[in-house]
Amino acid sequence: VTRFLIASVLPLSLSLPLLAGDWPQFKGPNAAGVSDEKNLPVEWGKDTNVKWKAPLPARGVSSPVVAAGRVYVTCSSGVRDDRLHVLCFDAATGKPLWHRQLQATGGTACHPKSCMAAPTPVADATGVYALFATGDLAAFDTDGTLRWYRSLTGDYPTISNQVGMASSPILVGDKLIVPMDNVGDSFLAGVDVKYGKNVWKTPRVKDINWVTPVVRTVGGKTELLFAGPDGLTAYDVDTGKPRWTYKDAPGSIPTAVLSGDVLYFPGGGMTALKMGENGPEGKPLWKSREIQPGMPSPLVYLGKVYATNGNGFVCCGEAKTGKLLYKERVKGAFSASPVGGDGKVYCLNEAGVTTVLDANAETFEVLATNDLGEETLGTPAISGGCIVIRTDKTLFCIGK
Amino acid sequence: MPRRNRTTGRLAWAAAVVLGVAVVTPLSADDTAKAIATIQAVGREGNGNDAAAAAWKSLVAQGEPALFPILEAIDDANPTAANWLLTAAGAIAENEAKAGRSLSATKLQAFVANTKFARSARRLAFELLEKHHPVAAARMLPALVDDPSPDLRRRAVAYELEKLEKATGPTVKPGLERLLSFARDQDQVELIAKKLEDEYKTKISLTEHFAFVTHWHLIGPFDSAEGKALTLAHPPEKATAATSTFKGKGGADLAWKPHVTTDRFGIVDLNKALGKHKDAAAYALAVVVAEKETPCEVRVASVNAIQIFLNGTKLFEREEYHHGAPMDHNVGKGTLKAGRNVIVLKVCQNNQTENWAQDWMFQLRVCDSTGGRLPGVTQLVTDGSKEQAIKLGSTPATEEKK
Repeated sequence: VTRFLIASVLPLSLSLPLLAGDWPQFKGPNAAGVSDEKNLPVEWGKDTNVKWKAPLPARGVSSPVVAAGRVYVTCSSGVRDDRLHVLCFDAATGKPLWHRQLQATGGTACHPKSCMAAPTPVADATGVYALFATGDLAAFDTDGTLRWYRSLTGDYPTISNQVGMASSPILVGDKLIVPMDNVGDSFLAGVDVKYGKNVWKTPRVKDINWVTPVVRTVGGKTELLFAGPDGLTAYDVDTGKPRWTYKDAPGSIPTAVLSGDVLYFPGGGMTALKMGENGPEGKPLWKSREIQPGMPSPLVYLGKVYATNGNGFVCCGEAKTGKLLYKERVKGAFSASPVGGDGKVYCLNEAGVTTVLDANAETFEVLATNDLGEETLGTPAISGGCIVIRTDKTLFCIGK
Repeated sequence: MPRRNRTTGRLAWAAAVVLGVAVVTPLSADDTAKAIATIQAVGREGNGNDAAAAAWKSLVAQGEPALFPILEAIDDANPTAANWLLTAAGAIAENEAKAGRSLSATKLQAFVANTKFARSARRLAFELLEKHHPVAAARMLPALVDDPSPDLRRRAVAYELEKLEKATGPTVKPGLERLLSFARDQDQVELIAKKLEDEYKTKISLTEHFAFVTHWHLIGPFDSAEGKALTLAHPPEKATAATSTFKGKGGADLAWKPHVTTDRFGIVDLNKALGKHKDAAAYALAVVVAEKETPCEVRVASVNAIQIFLNGTKLFEREEYHHGAPMDHNVGKGTLKAGRNVIVLKVCQNNQTENWAQDWMFQLRVCDSTGGRLPGVTQLVTDGSKEQAIKLGSTPATEEKK
């Protein structure tokens, strides 16, 4: 009987595959920022074309994520920013399903623009994994049951980043990949999703970094591409061992985009790298100083590469050649990364204004400018035919 | 509990541990305690998470009867277990609210009032009281102005300040002064101090309020090559007085220099006091006197890598450069012995060349665990050949910068 029960119950706890339309992590599937959904909204306002909205208890610069009919959001609050929140909403109705709170166990110093709810959580059909800038890491089942919790600063007390950490965890099979670049015990870890124990923990250079790893499978091996101050390194996802390092692509804030076998790498502009089995092959396909992302990560969509920055510039170039198609300035600064779907590019600025661009146009064609009137630093999610936007106060589901 | 029920409960508990599933069979007090103990036993790197997950489910399934045993078991000194338990208590409270059941005001009030319980647990209990019984919570607030929980204290200070802002007459000024003595958070302290200064022309010393050490002896530069900053132990780390001379960086002869900061927040600018140096370490020494053995916190802000020593024992270190210097970010916990105590701070500068990476500075205060002044603790300063005790945070008043 015991064997039967164990055989029946244990598989329920294992990582389940994503459903179509899920937006499970920072910038969606593999951090590409691209959705294949149709009939996405073009125009909206605070009370127009809003399917539902729900109040949030506090600020956060992390993105909402969507998996298996649930939207997950993190926030941080308190005068010391030491109260950490994980919230779950019904994706169809916006009904709050549960709200868990943690007490920060690591330092809470950060740049004033950021906060402790900076890393974006990652979700699958079994639940959500929330990492905070304090090094607090928790896994919750879909019903809010705490599956496991770890204080990474309790485990590794020298972890420190007084600018504030923001790299986001990702899921690869049965492992949660935890990036923790910092000036103390700096590492990338593969953590088992069931109990939260390290499968591997690989040292990283002691420096701060806000990049999120991306995944690729090559030669039958799945590897993590993780850029940092000392270059772009590929890690074997099973063992955490470095496979190769490309020194000419140091990372700091924005995350690269892998599109086919080309890696679009932000840093001093944009560089397109043809990826072979053992890393970038030959010279870069192109380099552009004009296509220059700031803090937001770039977007590659419908043959074009997009970059936005803190001065309000929207740059667009040909993905194949790097030829600049346009560089236009819109009102406000960008922190959120642009995302694309249904032939449109959504550029959300810090003031809650989304500039919707025609992704099929070779020129700067604005389809709509939509103002939510609240601070927005997190990247929107696209799921269920809707755009999900978290502001500092509200979670909006835009669409029908 | 009858033997049969206890056996059933234990079987259910064992099943929960093995299968990782929720069991709603009521647990005995003994089994609740065991589940809590299982959570309290979680270790580093996820050790014990499997058993703790099952225990968490079984506790949450008990509902309100498990709430107060969980709250009572929270120990902020074990923050990993505390978060397991806080989330369990939060989940129970959420489930009770969804079921339309109110939590006991009497129990919550008694729990909040008992300062032997953990700060985080008492804060949660207060917030539950506020949600279920807002009038009772408001009644409690005035008594919480001197609470060990920084969040409850903050709430109480804000509550009392709001009342004072609406009041008029001769009670307002003493009310503000009283409130200032309880305030710990910088924003509240500055707000109340400004009211007293602007509206009542009362001079407020923030250096005294926060007990910043203002009188120092400084020495440097010592060698602090990149990557070795905190591993190169120089002789001043064990200094008991600012009297010896040392060989510094490049073989230079170094002697302690007296330095008094008049900065409103006790900041010492080492670039000004010792000159601009890169790959360098400086030491700052101060002597404080305690009337009796006193637990203390030595809190430091710096954009540079630091080590805090108390009577030759290292309390804290952080090796991080030019990423901001929020007040109280580095906390060394120790105990002042009765009599003379030597505080030494090592402040390292690296070799970054960017304009924003040139500061070499620190701010240090000695306080209790709430950030408040320690009674019976003074600073010993030397005036010529004479030593005298002064209030911690004292500055030459006329020189204090705004």
